[in-house]
Amino acid sequence: MKESKVVKNILISLAVLFIVIMLIVPLVTVLAYALRHGFSVFWGAISDPYAIKALKLTLLATATSLAVNTVFGIFASWAITKFRFKGRQFLTTLIDIPFAISPVIAGLVFIYVFGRIGWAYPFLQEHGLRVVFAVPGIILATIFVTFPFISRELIPLMQAQGTDEEEAAALMGAGGFRIYRKITLPHIKWGLLYGVILCTARAMGEFGAVSVVSGHLRGKTNTLPLHIEILFNEFHLTAAFSVSSILVVLAVIILILRNVVEYRVKKGDL
Amino acid sequence: MYVELKNINKNFGNFRASDNVTFSIEQGKLIGLLGPSGSGKTTILRMIAGLENPDSGDIIIDGVRVNDIPASKRGIGFVFQNYALFRYMTVFDNIAFGLEVQKKDKAYIKERVGELIKLIGLEGLDKRRPHQLSGGQKQRVAFARALAPNPHLLLLDEPFAAIDAKVRKELRTWLRETISKVGITSIFVTHDQDEAVEVADEIIITNKGRVEQKGSPAEIYKNPQTPFAAKFIGESLMIEDYGRLKGFSLDKEYPKAVIRPDFVSVTKPGNEVYPNSSATGTVEDIFFRGNLYELRLRVNGVKLTAYRSLEDEELRAGDEVSVLIYRLYLYNDNSVKLAENDVFRNVNEVFI
Repeated sequence: MKESKVVKNILISLAVLFIVIMLIVPLVTVLAYALRHGFSVFWGAISDPYAIKALKLTLLATATSLAVNTVFGIFASWAITKFRFKGRQFLTTLIDIPFAISPVIAGLVFIYVFGRIGWAYPFLQEHGLRVVFAVPGIILATIFVTFPFISRELIPLMQAQGTDEEEAAALMGAGGFRIYRKITLPHIKWGLLYGVILCTARAMGEFGAVSVVSGHLRGKTNTLPLHIEILFNEFHLTAAFSVSSILVVLAVIILILRNVVEYRVKKGDL
Repeated sequence: MYVELKNINKNFGNFRASDNVTFSIEQGKLIGLLGPSGSGKTTILRMIAGLENPDSGDIIIDGVRVNDIPASKRGIGFVFQNYALFRYMTVFDNIAFGLEVQKKDKAYIKERVGELIKLIGLEGLDKRRPHQLSGGQKQRVAFARALAPNPHLLLLDEPFAAIDAKVRKELRTWLRETISKVGITSIFVTHDQDEAVEVADEIIITNKGRVEQKGSPAEIYKNPQTPFAAKFIGESLMIEDYGRLKGFSLDKEYPKAVIRPDFVSVTKPGNEVYPNSSATGTVEDIFFRGNLYELRLRVNGVKLTAYRSLEDEELRAGDEVSVLIYRLYLYNDNSVKLAENDVFRNVNEVFI
């Protein structure tokens, strides 16, 4: 057993080392850099009106895509796991597309659909709508990129649960909504929450697709990550890191929330 | 007839799950659908319940064709193979579910659930969640849940499959007694013939989507009507050149035979009851089976299996013994025939 102890220690230290180099050091650097010129500079950067606008836009895009993807995720996972139909496998694959293709391409797709050269442009013009280089475009791009998160969390869970319990309930005459509320939801709620958390984190950090459709209009179509990039490109390094720290703190809050939830579940409910 | 299936066909893609299934069941009977896995028994059960729809044919329950009646309106209780208890509900809520769906009043639900918990002997466990119950307890809860809304017909899919061997025996007796106490017509699916024989009033043997035979356990044992039934029931052994066994001659129409250990009597040489019909064989192996010995014999080049009581004189591998074979089931592709040893032959010969 001595050998396995050595192996165990080596594996643990490798994992810790890797996490420190790849995750902890960069995060600490962000905070250290942000506070390098003192707190007032840091505060100045994050209370800048453009930064606040960017934060608001980021939160709006995140909240909208979360709502849309939660609803879609529940429907899609329900359809895929509880019914057998032609093209079921294909649908599952389709849902994964945003994972597979580069966000930049996603952004370009929106330009080609809704932009000046896009086929939907005349229609949008007629109704006085702007999608590309405007807020709707940013929200669409965020939705696209975070599309699979929630359904991907739910599908395996609902598959594992199988259809037996639902079938049993349906056999006793329970309607769809009662079955969902009493049987499916209690089973998937933590998975759903986890999916929501992942989706939030991804939506807040989305850069590629949003960058393409945004047009970088300060105070209008800049999200936090884009704002950070602009600051960085203009050599406002401290400001860039200060604004970054907002995202880092939000991410840490999300992770803590997640752990609290997980702990509660293990202790109380089951 | 209470439940009738007429010419039911069902395909899953290219797989023929039900091939012209026709049978009927009397009210109050406990029926076992017995067959190997993939023989279509569960499909039959699910079609009766309304969980699957037959491609063609009629299902009639209590005189009404139920094909177009949804599962929830058929008045059927269903016990799933892995119970499908609602894992986020207590035992009480599980059993009460069907009654709540029917919007019965609270006082009635409480009374009815209490009654059922008493019936299944789980008093005091009504606040437990399914994961806090043993396999046997889960099964009882699933049973009570299915009975709660007073169904006319109870269907059980492999009710004992997920329970360990020891509890299973107990539970079989319990289920049989409880069903007869409640007096509900019931159909259960099993692949275990011991289970079917012990629990069911009548057995329906299925194979490759067809019904092979229906009858009481004793009938099925004594008079298998199809080659499959003969091979499937009992500890059956297939032998080809049965003409080499003493007391039997090869029937050209029936190239093969089925023999069960209980058809073989083994005695020490010199103790035979029918010395002229007994052959000499060798014991190749002996297995202790707890309440008896199982012997592997070779008689004139044919391998046989036989049982021997622990009370009889002990045998060893290599011993010479005297072997008498009472009967065989001869079969070809389409039919079975009972063949008695020549000694008894003048008494009867049964063609089926």
